[in-house]
Amino acid sequence: MHQQPAGTTRGGDIDMQNVVKDFGHFRAVDNVSLKIASNEFFTLLGPSGCGKTTLLRMLAGFEMPTGGKILLDKADISLLPPNRRPINTVFQNYALFPHMTVAENIGFGLKMLGRPKAEIEKVTQDMLRLVQLEARGKHLVTQLSGGQQQRVALARALAPQPKVLLLDEPLSALDLKLRKSMQIELKRLQMETGITFVFVTHDQEEALTMSDRIAVMSEGKVRQVGAPDAIYDRPADRFVADFIGETNFLAADVVSVNGNVARVRLASGKEIAARFAEGTQPSGKVTVVIRPEHARAAAVSAEADLKGTIQTIVYLGTDTHIHAVLEDGTHFTVRQQNSRSGPCGFSTGEQIGIHMSDDVAQILRD
Amino acid sequence: MAKPFSVRRVPGFSTIAMICFIGLYLPIVTLVIYAFNAGTSIAIWEGFSLRWFQSAWNNAQVIDASIRSLQIAVTASVVATVVATMAAIATTRTVQYRGLTFKYAFINLPLLVPEIVTAVALLIFFSRVKVWTGYSGLGYLIAAHAAFCVPFAYLPIRARLESMDLTLERAAADLYATPFQAFRYVTLPLLWPGVLAGFMLGFVISLDDVVITEFVKSGGQDTLPTYMLGQLRRVVTPEMNAISTVFLLLSFAIVTIFFFLSRTEKTS
Ligand SMILES: Nc1ncnc2c1ncn2[C@@H]1O[C@H](COP(=O)(O)OP(=O)(O)OP(=O)(O)O)[C@@H](O)[C@H]1O
Ligand SMILES: [Mg+2]
Repeated sequence: MHQQPAGTTRGGDIDMQNVVKDFGHFRAVDNVSLKIASNEFFTLLGPSGCGKTTLLRMLAGFEMPTGGKILLDKADISLLPPNRRPINTVFQNYALFPHMTVAENIGFGLKMLGRPKAEIEKVTQDMLRLVQLEARGKHLVTQLSGGQQQRVALARALAPQPKVLLLDEPLSALDLKLRKSMQIELKRLQMETGITFVFVTHDQEEALTMSDRIAVMSEGKVRQVGAPDAIYDRPADRFVADFIGETNFLAADVVSVNGNVARVRLASGKEIAARFAEGTQPSGKVTVVIRPEHARAAAVSAEADLKGTIQTIVYLGTDTHIHAVLEDGTHFTVRQQNSRSGPCGFSTGEQIGIHMSDDVAQILRD
Repeated sequence: MAKPFSVRRVPGFSTIAMICFIGLYLPIVTLVIYAFNAGTSIAIWEGFSLRWFQSAWNNAQVIDASIRSLQIAVTASVVATVVATMAAIATTRTVQYRGLTFKYAFINLPLLVPEIVTAVALLIFFSRVKVWTGYSGLGYLIAAHAAFCVPFAYLPIRARLESMDLTLERAAADLYATPFQAFRYVTLPLLWPGVLAGFMLGFVISLDDVVITEFVKSGGQDTLPTYMLGQLRRVVTPEMNAISTVFLLLSFAIVTIFFFLSRTEKTS
């Protein structure tokens, strides 16, 4: 019967093997293989329609995969119905039961598992405290604010102590400030409970701040899996580079390869060092990416890696973005931190030299 | 500045509306008034009296027919509501498939079949069954009423199911509820106002059915409407008015109860 969802202290590990989901002729999830370690905060990130929810629904058991296998702690759960999986979901629209009180919502899972009343009572109180809603237990969920409903949904999913918690864009309906504090809250809960979190979002900033690892998806496929800094600093392909953060793309020629660093010649004639993904062998014409904050603008000089003309300057509070057009017509953005008050020292139309520190360029896999 | 369009200012609107209301309610009002007539005429007022209510109350046939009407209406609408609930779940909690629309139509078809056709068909069918089984109790009337109440009960229940958020049932399954538990603890409580509406509709429809009852009933199985119809063929006294008035009050009461039940659902 049930795999004893309550009482476990360790999250489960997930192993998806070549998972495919077709809707008629449309392939929503295309041969996805992912391993998610126990206690991990794992994020599925990708644009709308890329198959994140579908993948999550297969983990929860609401959809059966067309092909492939899903293992939880080495056991095949691909075909188990949702109520037989020790996995709980925080739904995007919360899906709280409107005819029940906050406490009844939170206790629902344990009640269905046939736990004794005293235990349900105790866990419900613990959960109410955990999400700071002690005073609201007897209220109907329809009387709560959006943020409070969100916390009830979280408490309800955590109460049966699942091995894995699935969260489908749980913060997207909240305002910015509440979202920020819930991000920290979620991270804290994940560390305190030790439950494996699989989190879905299309907000790259949210993914970067919260996750242990991120899988970037597009069109049903996983494009890259890695820690936030790895995804950000060493995007594997153009899609990932473009989707995560702001990026400059430059055409370049590979001059030499030494270990895992290549020397590439830019259109300006300057050579810079660039890293590339393991297992690839860059040669000939390639595209390199450089993050705006890894470049620095200065007066024109012979040492500058690139030369350009400033098109617009955008002041953003903490930083200033300088949008320039290079000699060959490519657009290039430099992001500079505003260290002191006053203007950044450049003006529109001015010629600048752009410098890059070593090791910041990344060659894209094509 | 031009005032926003209002249908009330269309010439003749108020007049036509008034005529409609009068046409609808004047006969009923007259009927109720003459239920309190002291004389024996249903057209000449001879003073106020409750004698016809008393006479109806003491009329064993009226009481007998009323009890039978209630028996049939309660049993038939309970059966119809259960069947309609199951039909509504079967037709809404499923993936879209070819023939689903056909199935909707099939369930609602009895609304379109002329009642007289159903009545004649049932008369012929049941008379055979009576010969085979030898049974001639109320079962036939209950079965017939339940059958034509199903589509009435089905409509509000299906409407409620369709407007319900499917993720709630998914959430229940996610929280370890078996399909039966999910139905018992989530679907049914949320569906309840629809079920109640279906039951009330079925009840009212069954209570005042004449055509099918007249054809299907065996001797001595008069319901209140068929009894009244039989009486109208003979002498008409304000006793008929009195019975009708009570009948009217009963229907009002049912509708009012339902109105408040559905309102408390919404506010809670
Ligand atoms: N039941 C279904 N039948 C047919 N197509 C579906 C079904 N569910 C999803 N799809 C399609 O599969 C694709 C992926 O959908 P999915 O909901 O997984 O996207 P998503 O990544 O969660 O997007 P979003 O960020 O907008 O929520 C979409 O193109 C969608 O139209
Ligand atoms: Mg989605």
